Amino acid sequence: MSAPDRAAPLLEVEGLTVDFETRAGPVSAVRGVSFSLAPGEILGIVGESGSGKSVTCRAILGLLPRTARVGGSIRFDGRELTHFSEADWEHMRGRQGAMIFQNPASHLDPLMRIGAQIGESLRHHMDRSGPEARRDAIHLLSSVGIAQPELRVDSFPHELSGGMKQRALIAGAIACRPRLLLADEPTTALDVTVQARILELLRALNRQHELAIILISHDLGVIAEICQRVLVMRDGALVEQGRTRDLVATPKHPYTQLLIASQPGLRLRRPRRTGAHAAGQPLIEVQDLSVSFRAPFRWIDLTKGQVRAPRIRALDGVTFALHPGETLGVVGESGSGKSTVARAIARLLSPSAGRVLFDGADVHQLTGQDLLRFRRSVQMVFQSPYDSLNPRLTVRQTLAEPLRRHRLAPPRKIDERVAELASMVELPQDLLDRTPRQLSGGQCQRVGIARALAMQPRLLIADEVTSSLDVTTQAQILSLLERLRAEAGLTMLYISHDLAVVRALCDRVLVFQAGRIVESGLVDEVLARPQNSYTQTLLRAVPRLALAPQAQFQAEGTAHAPG
Amino acid sequence: MQTLSLLVNRLLQLLPVLLGIAIVTFLLLKLTPGDPARLLVGDRASEETLAAVRQEYGLNRPWPVQLGTYFGKLAQGDLGESIRFRKPVSGLILQFLPPTIFLVLYVVSLTVPTTLLLAIAAARNHGGWADQAIRVFGVCGFTLPVFWVAIMLSRLFGVELGWFPVSGYGTGFLEHLHHLFLPALTTSIWLVPVMVQSLRAALLEKSEADFVTAARSKGLPERGVFWRHILPNALLPTLHLLGVMVAYLIGGTIIVEAVYAVPGLGRLMVSSILSRDYSVVQGLTLFFALATVLVTLLVDIATTLIDPRVRL
Repeated sequence: MSAPDRAAPLLEVEGLTVDFETRAGPVSAVRGVSFSLAPGEILGIVGESGSGKSVTCRAILGLLPRTARVGGSIRFDGRELTHFSEADWEHMRGRQGAMIFQNPASHLDPLMRIGAQIGESLRHHMDRSGPEARRDAIHLLSSVGIAQPELRVDSFPHELSGGMKQRALIAGAIACRPRLLLADEPTTALDVTVQARILELLRALNRQHELAIILISHDLGVIAEICQRVLVMRDGALVEQGRTRDLVATPKHPYTQLLIASQPGLRLRRPRRTGAHAAGQPLIEVQDLSVSFRAPFRWIDLTKGQVRAPRIRALDGVTFALHPGETLGVVGESGSGKSTVARAIARLLSPSAGRVLFDGADVHQLTGQDLLRFRRSVQMVFQSPYDSLNPRLTVRQTLAEPLRRHRLAPPRKIDERVAELASMVELPQDLLDRTPRQLSGGQCQRVGIARALAMQPRLLIADEVTSSLDVTTQAQILSLLERLRAEAGLTMLYISHDLAVVRALCDRVLVFQAGRIVESGLVDEVLARPQNSYTQTLLRAVPRLALAPQAQFQAEGTAHAPG
Repeated sequence: MQTLSLLVNRLLQLLPVLLGIAIVTFLLLKLTPGDPARLLVGDRASEETLAAVRQEYGLNRPWPVQLGTYFGKLAQGDLGESIRFRKPVSGLILQFLPPTIFLVLYVVSLTVPTTLLLAIAAARNHGGWADQAIRVFGVCGFTLPVFWVAIMLSRLFGVELGWFPVSGYGTGFLEHLHHLFLPALTTSIWLVPVMVQSLRAALLEKSEADFVTAARSKGLPERGVFWRHILPNALLPTLHLLGVMVAYLIGGTIIVEAVYAVPGLGRLMVSSILSRDYSVVQGLTLFFALATVLVTLLVDIATTLIDPRVRL
């Protein structure tokens, strides 16, 4: 094969259409998308779920389900991919183009050692023997920044952290030195600090190996971190494309403008109430709270000398207070104990030491009617909008259930109250008879919030409620929460790994690391002038848009407003 | 070392389970209506004989004491004595055990390859004619009553064609194979469809799994993806089902053993119930429970070998 001309594009997509055949007739997922990619370029594709960005990406590697019909043209290195046979694909995938995915945990075979999974394509494409493939796998693991690669090569996926799994997946993808890497939301499931490191790795691979990358994300901030050019997709069509800097500075299409305006760091916020309500009795007082999980019990332990943590400390002596009407943000990476503290407050798990006081009464001592009243007063909204709703109940049934069970409304009035709750969360009335499956993620999350509000709670605990939503939906949910708080005077504990969201919504913030509070204070002060090195690391890891001067000014202005 | 430690712990956890089983089997006899002493001596025996028998077997003592005695005997492997055979129950079980074990292993070795073959064929032709045909045969297989299949097969292959003996167990390995072929086939005919259904569903589910897409994205050929990724991940639920089925078959081949006159545990159980030979029933109940526990343990051990996430 002759070396292609430097200037010639590596990938040319022209008028790409993808339709899925369903029983209800063909559904169009991609409608006439055209773009090109130069060798060694990093191209971003941004859009919300359902915009066709993943489908476009999978079409390039022929990974669409059989029901898909692909039209138009995809030329890779001068060859037309839409006419490829299965044998051509097997030769091309892994060798010429490879792919990494959103959820690294589910994209690794749980029964196979990491080294074997990386070595697979080496053995298939490069005819490596077993030991050779293993040696190469160790090299690859170290090149993607995994420490102790000669140990990790024999690990199973469940023994690795999320970030390490994504690195291992990347190692497998680049094993045969492909020229194109398709990265489909590679950092969405990861913590912000891990995300920063993975993006850095992608950039390094791009520079070292002239690896062309298409990075797909719903987060324009992530795209702006490493992409020279960006495509904006919506409803299967390309609405805008251009150099990232230009596009962010002067977005032309209204949808692009909406995407940029939805960036949590850019949203206008109400003036904060700072310290004014710190007097009076706090609604929640957490005193020296510790939670530890016991390792499984064994009658006889023959594993003497081997390291085995007998107790896992999820929370270690945490103390803070939450005053009525206040919104407190809890930030930290996964495993930092931020969800544990929420569950301990809601009495979903019991502390090993310390107390949680609600209105001055110890939550974990409550019984009978007091406990019932407490359960009603503290409501939670969860991360995954689909999983936290019963799939067999309609929205109406979901909202009516707590009303009926707690006799919060007379039977005749229940329908009325359900309608009222739906309008509170801006959920259209005609969606009330649908099941969660027939709703979008944002709509499901509204149902989750309405269900919590049905109890007229005094404290709302929101555990990563926006992290599985698109940026635009996330912005809508956040303004909904803000409105509810202003109107109903709700006290809120807002848990998130997303500092920008916390900055937009919260009055005060607690930064958690390894079960302890490492920093706390007013949001503006902590995030503008972090004292703790961990908080600084977290802040640095947040991808930022290179903003237009005006927007920059606006964001800075609000961020530094003195308390 | 760690595996050994886990195994030891797992075995220790079995102790309370076994204790529970023993108590239940003891109560089983206590709660059955009728007087065991009366049963032993017959209806026409005098009150004195009855009292003597009660004294001899300790039946006049309070039941916690009897339970203690029962445990004491169990610990020595003494399951009591059969009234009908005038032999120790443990010896009786050992005598009837080989045909049953042979039959169960025979069924497994007929079922497992057939299941793999049919399930893979069905899953790879998902929705195609092979899939449909396998499904139809499957439905027939487990809806036909076992006794009817047994009778039909023994008539056709045993009586009409004379290829296989229709009763007994024979002597020597080859003769066992010959004699037990029809009983094993009869059992497999309903077992295979159940297993195929489980494996086929798991194969279809796993072929949609994310890691399968990831394997395809690396350019692995479809065949390799199937054997290395889809099949191993799909095996576990079927393995567990096989465990449950084997445990069931050890005491549950009664119909087949009856039709083909195989001298196995199923027949021993039925005849002992009919002749009110309660100590045999009790001993067998205990034995079946024990077998179930052991088979489950074996399946769990096999699971840990396949799935590194599972610990004993």
